[in-house]
Amino acid sequence: MKRTAFILGTLLAIGAAVGAQIQSGAGPDDTAGLGPVVAGPDLSGSWRPNQLVLESQTAAGDLADFGGIPLNDAARLYALSWPASRQTVRQHQCMGYVTPYFWYAPANYRIWQERDQFTQRLTAWRFYGQVAQGDRTVYMDGRPHPPAYAPHTFGGFSTGTYQGNTLSVTTTHLKRGWIKANGVPQSDAATVEEHYLRHGDVITVLAVIDDPVYLTEPLSKAAMLVRMARDPDAWLYPCDDSEQIFGRKSDVVPNHLFGQNPYAREFADTRKIPLLAALGGAETMYPELVDAVRDPAASERAAKARMMPAGPPAVSRAPDPTPKDGEIHTFRVSGNVHLLAGDGANIAVQVGPQGAFVVDTGAGKLSDKVVAAIAKLSAKPIQFIVNTTFRPDHTGGNAKLQMAGADPSLTGTFFSMQFQGAGQAATIISQLKTQTRMIEQKLPAPPTDTFVEERRRKHYNGEAVEVFPQQNATTDGDSLVHFRRADVIVAGDIFTTTEYPHIDTKNGGSVQGEIRALNFILDRTVYVHDEDGGTLIIPGHGRVTDEWEVAEYRDMVVIVRDRVQALMQSGATLQQVLAARPTADYDVRYGATAGPWTTDMFVEAVYTSLKNPPKTSTGR
Amino acid sequence: MKRLASVFLVVAVASAHVFAQAGGQGGRGVGGPPTGIPGGAGGGRVGRGGARGGRGGAAFDLTGHWVSIVGEDWRWRSFPARGDYGAVPLNQAARKIADAWDPAKDATAGEGCKAFAAPSVMRIPGRLHISWRDDQTLTIETDAGQQTRLFYFGVPPPGQVEDWQGSSKAEWDLGNAGAGGLFSRGGGPASGPSGSLKVVTTRMKPGYAARNGVPFSASATLTEYFDLVKTKGGVEYLVLTSMLDDAVYLSQPMWTVVHFKKQRDESGFKPVSCSGK
Repeated sequence: MKRTAFILGTLLAIGAAVGAQIQSGAGPDDTAGLGPVVAGPDLSGSWRPNQLVLESQTAAGDLADFGGIPLNDAARLYALSWPASRQTVRQHQCMGYVTPYFWYAPANYRIWQERDQFTQRLTAWRFYGQVAQGDRTVYMDGRPHPPAYAPHTFGGFSTGTYQGNTLSVTTTHLKRGWIKANGVPQSDAATVEEHYLRHGDVITVLAVIDDPVYLTEPLSKAAMLVRMARDPDAWLYPCDDSEQIFGRKSDVVPNHLFGQNPYAREFADTRKIPLLAALGGAETMYPELVDAVRDPAASERAAKARMMPAGPPAVSRAPDPTPKDGEIHTFRVSGNVHLLAGDGANIAVQVGPQGAFVVDTGAGKLSDKVVAAIAKLSAKPIQFIVNTTFRPDHTGGNAKLQMAGADPSLTGTFFSMQFQGAGQAATIISQLKTQTRMIEQKLPAPPTDTFVEERRRKHYNGEAVEVFPQQNATTDGDSLVHFRRADVIVAGDIFTTTEYPHIDTKNGGSVQGEIRALNFILDRTVYVHDEDGGTLIIPGHGRVTDEWEVAEYRDMVVIVRDRVQALMQSGATLQQVLAARPTADYDVRYGATAGPWTTDMFVEAVYTSLKNPPKTSTGR
Repeated sequence: MKRLASVFLVVAVASAHVFAQAGGQGGRGVGGPPTGIPGGAGGGRVGRGGARGGRGGAAFDLTGHWVSIVGEDWRWRSFPARGDYGAVPLNQAARKIADAWDPAKDATAGEGCKAFAAPSVMRIPGRLHISWRDDQTLTIETDAGQQTRLFYFGVPPPGQVEDWQGSSKAEWDLGNAGAGGLFSRGGGPASGPSGSLKVVTTRMKPGYAARNGVPFSASATLTEYFDLVKTKGGVEYLVLTSMLDDAVYLSQPMWTVVHFKKQRDESGFKPVSCSGK
């Protein structure tokens, strides 16, 4: 009897301990990688936005209604430069919705849970929105966010946790999108916290957007969803882009020059609201706004001052995604194509049964680690290397990578009869101009296999690989590489996500050639859905993208060119062009006032190449 | 022997389940002095799910100073204009009244505070000071219009005079906590502050549901949910989701949402009378 009582007592104690552990929140719910057992408030079902909230917080709104948004001067100029006709540009026609803009479409939404089949843990919430067919996944299983150099999407990468009955969602890896679709930009450096609250048949979503590039302080905004008793039957929103303006040149991107937006006053004047308030800024979020605009004359003066660039040039506020820890980071981009980041310019590696095909070799400071990283991807040697440019941060590893490889296709051929050592190292391929520049500048290990004007092509590791020369883009020796099965384009310095294009006019670069090269990329890309996915781009510097970022970059170069050109046509000198700050709305994203490539250098390159275009630049 | 083992098993499972049930809401347990702070010990516990009362049962601490965050609805909130109703579901009778809105006339008639009634005052850009008057009464003072709202946990005192702020009955709403069937320990999450402050206001003196003259009637009912949200950076937001139900002037309930950011102190709190006096 005593023994039975002892066992009972022990079991009671164990049971109590288990219960206590569960209640403490440190129990099985928190098991890493599984997701919680319980879901907090159940958000599942079909929902629509509350009409009143939707209309007052609408995603689009009137032109030049920026009130209630803590946008900075650059964002305001960006928005004032944006005409609605920008949407006729092909890449803008099917642009997706960024978070939290996602919840402000006048359409149907569905929310559901993803549960693990075996444990029934909540692994993810799924949010689907009819407009743009937005499809978001909020991971609940504790997985980390991707590295900074991974691609971004309009929905971003989201993870969730519970704070009591609130589902809190953190989203990173967003694309440049709209804070308000009348031109107020959200940058690709923005992060969003969303907090989901449910009260009966209503979900309230408080979103807090932190954007170091375009906002002076976090923007918080609330959305409201109302549950639909019956599942609606409208869920799709197909969008295919097409030509809308026949005969328009490919280097045309509609934009208003600074101070010349004819609709800048329309909203304020129609609504009899002070223009200063309509132009937004952090002060429009707070109760003091009404006092701030009480003096009409002062308010008008302040408003006009905000419609032109002012103050000193800004520098990029977007973090550089390139790792700088002295290590080489490998990231699988698509198929058998990988990015190696960490040694200067980006390195791309395609691997397969034949060997490794490398595009650019980095700065050469970490070449041993680069070789080791490639060896982890491929047991076969590096057979081919393509240099997209002659610049040392792209070719500095040529010598070590070349010698670490071999080109067995040359061994035992007439080449080995002519050239001693043929095939005993990797073959380096480039435009002839690249080789010429490297020899001129005494850079080590110049290319050994060159081409002049037309594409170079190979079928390697079961994949078509094309190398396209681009004339007079950042230099006179740029090339792009397209891995066609993986559908990855390696852009070299023609496209970067970290700075203005490094147009080197002394070495044959030109703004028109740069625009042409960017359009060349856009002529080869295909997205999966609404400007997301599909063809992926490895830039010369920065993170992996798809065509959306290339289009945004192309737009920027075109718009800056238009401004410089307009100033030149009015007789402005280079100094006057620089003083006019034609990049004022983009400096917070790409600008630099020090280092190897400053904003002024870029503007000067645009000016110079417009004034004295390279002879071989044909334009289009 | 088999029977004994099964008894042991049942006892162990039951003891774990009972203990878990008794634990309540992550530390807001039985007894102890009322503190009114999140996760603090409190009296008046009502168990899992349902509603709880007063400072002791507070799901979170909303006392302090808060400032309105005026978002993209700034036009309606900061610069109200006659006839600019947006998607407010007002009926024909309400539209007739709203179209005749004349704030100067209201001021002359001594009714300048009509726009600062409970259904609209929280949307007017301004600052709030929230405090406990006593363990069962929460007070919200607004600087815009210098209004005071009293939220009573339990029965509002008899004889309360009808005014623009009406009579407000409050309770802590624990949301879906308490859900679940066999072996369930509740539908709520495992830890953290939980629940909303639910306030139902009736007996309001007829006024405006929006600053630009959209009317509400004496029979209107205002239901509000106050939620506390804390960002990773430690910023606290008070989110107010509200529903105005008024069969006299609205064709359907009017839902709105506004939010406030927590301030460190009372700076900026400048009471301005709505009466113009």
